[in-house]
Amino acid sequence: MGVISLRLENLELRRIDDLSVQEHKGRSTVARELIQQGWQFRMLKQYRDGKLSLEGLAKTLELSVGESIDLLAELGIESPVEYEDYLKGFDVFADK
Amino acid sequence: MKIIFDSSTLILLAKVNLLREASEEVEIIVPEEVKREVLVKKTEDAELISILIQERKIGVQKVDEAKAVRKLQADFRLAKGEAEALWLSRKYGCPVAIDDGPGIRAGKVLGLRFLTAMHFLLHMASRNKLAPALAREKLTKLVQYGRYNKRIIEDAISRLKEGRT
Repeated sequence: MGVISLRLENLELRRIDDLSVQEHKGRSTVARELIQQGWQFRMLKQYRDGKLSLEGLAKTLELSVGESIDLLAELGIESPVEYEDYLKGFDVFADK
Repeated sequence: MKIIFDSSTLILLAKVNLLREASEEVEIIVPEEVKREVLVKKTEDAELISILIQERKIGVQKVDEAKAVRKLQADFRLAKGEAEALWLSRKYGCPVAIDDGPGIRAGKVLGLRFLTAMHFLLHMASRNKLAPALAREKLTKLVQYGRYNKRIIEDAISRLKEGRT
């Protein structure tokens, strides 16, 4: 585990302290959890915005594709498949 | 009909227990990388896919054109499995089953035919391969895991009711 020192705003420090008390965890643990959750949030947002593929999301979150689908379903994050694409998909079986 | 599968559609169909039925409707081919990705962890979905590969209901295809795959990855921000699936679809001129935004966008640019897990469900229901009540149950599950948008869900419900695709 590496060590870094960084300056935090008073508000940020207060939030870490509040969570530390609420969840009976050390400040370092809380800070690490927040960084991890912030990372996950960013990657999920990138996926939602179509900037990251499903497989890419799975890799960055160190999950399998199946686990990523479960997580997206749990969080209710809509699939990036558009209605127009869906309509076009019917051509495949129509051409069969 | 031969269809190349990306991991997204493969896993969605496995999650709603429609993958075996789909493999009886079409010839499913997955690139090596997709196989590796979906079997990376021992889950129920992975177990089903593994069995279907052993039973040769799902074919696995090696992709030798690493340079072309890397280019697809870079051009469309795709991971390796998605790029390999699109590459195989282009190479063999067959459709690609994909439930992923960037992958579909790339497929459109490349002029590929594509479809999603929802199309398999509706196709099988319209051909009476699924009883109406079972099809509705599968749709509920697929909506949960596939997280399709409202318009798609409404359209799918109406097609299911009318028995059309």
